[in-house]
Order: sequence, then C-alpha cells, then structure tokens
Amino acid sequence: MTRQLAHLSDEALVALAARSEQTALAELYDRYGRTAYGLALRVLRDQTLAEDAVQEAFLTIWRTASRFMPEKGRASTWILTLVHRRAVDAVRHEQRRRTDSLELAAEPSVEGVEEDAWLRLQRERVQAALRHLPDAQREALELAYYGGFSQSELAERLGQPLGTIKSRMFTGLSRLREELGEPGTEISWTTTT
Amino acid sequence: MDYHDLTAAYALDALAPEEAEAYERHLSQCEECREQLAELSGPAAALAFGTVAPAPPARLRAVILEQAAAERANVVPFLQRRWVARGMAIAAAAAACIVVGLAVALSQSSHTRSLSVSVGPNRTATIHVSGLATAPHGKTYEAWIIPNGRSPRPAGIFAGGASSMLHLDGTVPKNAVVAVTLERAGGAKSPTMAPILSAPVS
Repeated sequence: MTRQLAHLSDEALVALAARSEQTALAELYDRYGRTAYGLALRVLRDQTLAEDAVQEAFLTIWRTASRFMPEKGRASTWILTLVHRRAVDAVRHEQRRRTDSLELAAEPSVEGVEEDAWLRLQRERVQAALRHLPDAQREALELAYYGGFSQSELAERLGQPLGTIKSRMFTGLSRLREELGEPGTEISWTTTT
Repeated sequence: MDYHDLTAAYALDALAPEEAEAYERHLSQCEECREQLAELSGPAAALAFGTVAPAPPARLRAVILEQAAAERANVVPFLQRRWVARGMAIAAAAAACIVVGLAVALSQSSHTRSLSVSVGPNRTATIHVSGLATAPHGKTYEAWIIPNGRSPRPAGIFAGGASSMLHLDGTVPKNAVVAVTLERAGGAKSPTMAPILSAPVS
C-alpha cells in the first residue's frame, strides 16, 4: 500500500484533514485504525459495534479536525480519546451491559490473533507498566478504561466508597504516566512539535 | 461537588454523562484542572495500545473514506486547490509548513516502500530500504533497533532516495524489530514519530 503522506506528523495530518484532504484521513486511519479497532473490540466485545464505533470516531475526526489544538495535546491522544468515548457510549447503551460481571472486562486471549510486530511491542510495554501498579489501582484503570464502567458503577460493584475509586484512578494514572516514561517519549512515538 | 477530583475519571471516560457535562463546564473555568487533564490524558490514551489489536475488516477503511468524501463532496480537496491557489496557500505561515511537506509527498510517485533486514551470523545487520523519498532539508531518516520489550536504540541515519543500504550500528538481538523514522538532521536519541517502516527480525 502506498502511503504518500507517511513522513508527516500526526498533527500535520490533522491540519490537512481540516482542509478536506482525504489522503490525510486515510493516513491517520492507517496509523491508528488497528489500535482503534482493537480498543473498541475490547470495550464492546462485538465486531459490528466495534466497527461502528471506529467509523463514527474517524468521521468525528474528519468533521472536527479544524478544532483540534496541537498545543493542548498530541493528535494521537485526541484520536484515541474520540474512539474510546464512542466505544464507552455504545457499551453503556447496550442492554446486556447491565448484567455484565466485572470478569468480562478481562484481557482477551492473544491466541489466534496475528499481531503487528510494532503493536505487539507497544502492548507489551503498556502491559508491563500496568503490572508495576498496585493491584487495586490497576483494577480500577482496567475496569474503567477497558470495561467502560463509570466510577459510580465501580464503587458499587467493588463495594468501595466513591472517594476510594477516585483516588485509585488518579494515583493509578499518575503512576502509569511515570512508568511509561517522560513526556516526549510517547508510547505512540508521536511528537507535538 | 468538588470537580477537581474528577479529572482522572474524566480522562478515563468513567463519568456518567451528566457528571461529564458538569466537569466540562468546570474545565472551562479552571486552569489547574486543564493542566492536570492534559497530563492524565496521555497515559489514559496509551491504554489503547495495551490490548490485543486484531486487524479490522478491510471494508472499514473504505466505508470511512467513502462516507468522509460524501460529507464534503462540494469541497475541493486541499491538494487540488493548492495548484489553483498556490500563492494563497503559502501566504499563511501554518499552511506553508504543510505545503513544504506535501511538495515532498507529491514529488514521490506511487511506488511501494519496503524495508528488508539481513542479519549476519554475528548479529550485525544491513538494511535495504526502497521507495522512500529523499529526506527533506534539515531532516534525515533514522534506523532503530528495538530489542523485544525494550526501548528503541538508534542504529544509523541515511538520506533516503530510491534505494538505500545501511549497515546498522550495534547488533540485532533475536525477536527484535528494526524500524525507520524521519528525524531532525543528525538524528535523534529516541524516535519522535511513529515508524514509517518496520520489520521483525527472528
């Protein structure tokens, strides 16, 4: 596959998408589509719903690219946040979700999945960082992010006060940030400059 | 309600819709929370890379691009407009940067890029890269050796062009990945962008 914009930064691609340049949207999809789909699939556990979430997120990127402000954060963070938000909205609308147990948010098996070599390294790095967190913090992050549970749902299901859940999320994310390294050596290898 | 302690939950999308809306209103008035959110959003989004990512069906890409085209059918894409209103495009400083990038993109025809890695018995390696445009002024291509589960190591720089050979600095361990990025002239100590090309080494 030809990727004629492959040498541009994510932020330059978003700026081009804001100018209706479709090849820029295609390049962003080629960079983040697979991660986006994996994330949506993890949250939604349904291929059709995951595809819908990814589609809606990329169309939101297309429609709102002109409002992206590079000084406020990386384009990759913006893109993956949009994908995650779509997936979480969708999972909360699913009726079956109400009866889900927390265990269903568990990590799916790697078996049978043909992984991209680069993404496998990223996954191992994030998972290693998560393993360095205390169990309660890791659990709060995983159930919220991959399970789509709200803080109130987590407090109820884990039988903990809301304040405890909030502080586990905050400490967990702060700790994860340190584990993943200083800003600038971003996990997605993306720069803001 | 104390909004300051909702930042992490917001970054994780773990607020109920009405809580999220209230937090966003607060955010517009609270510099401290905006700064904290900027710090926590990165690691939250990094969690997206922490799960197995099977390839999406190929049709998904096509559907997205078709839909995107349909939504802006009446807009002339930037790349075409550029030739019509080149002067205007260059006028804006921000746009000018993009045009420089695009000129490079346009000058390279649609050939396939490839990266092959030959590893010798002593684990030193040579890469052969084809299909990359010559690096723009002030930039260089940089090769990286990424040992399994470790940080990328700089392994040499090259200028690109139709076909390049580079003997990599250092040795390539088993199950490493060799990758190529575009960096500032002289090279970087750690990569600053997603790889343009990458290949696993057994």
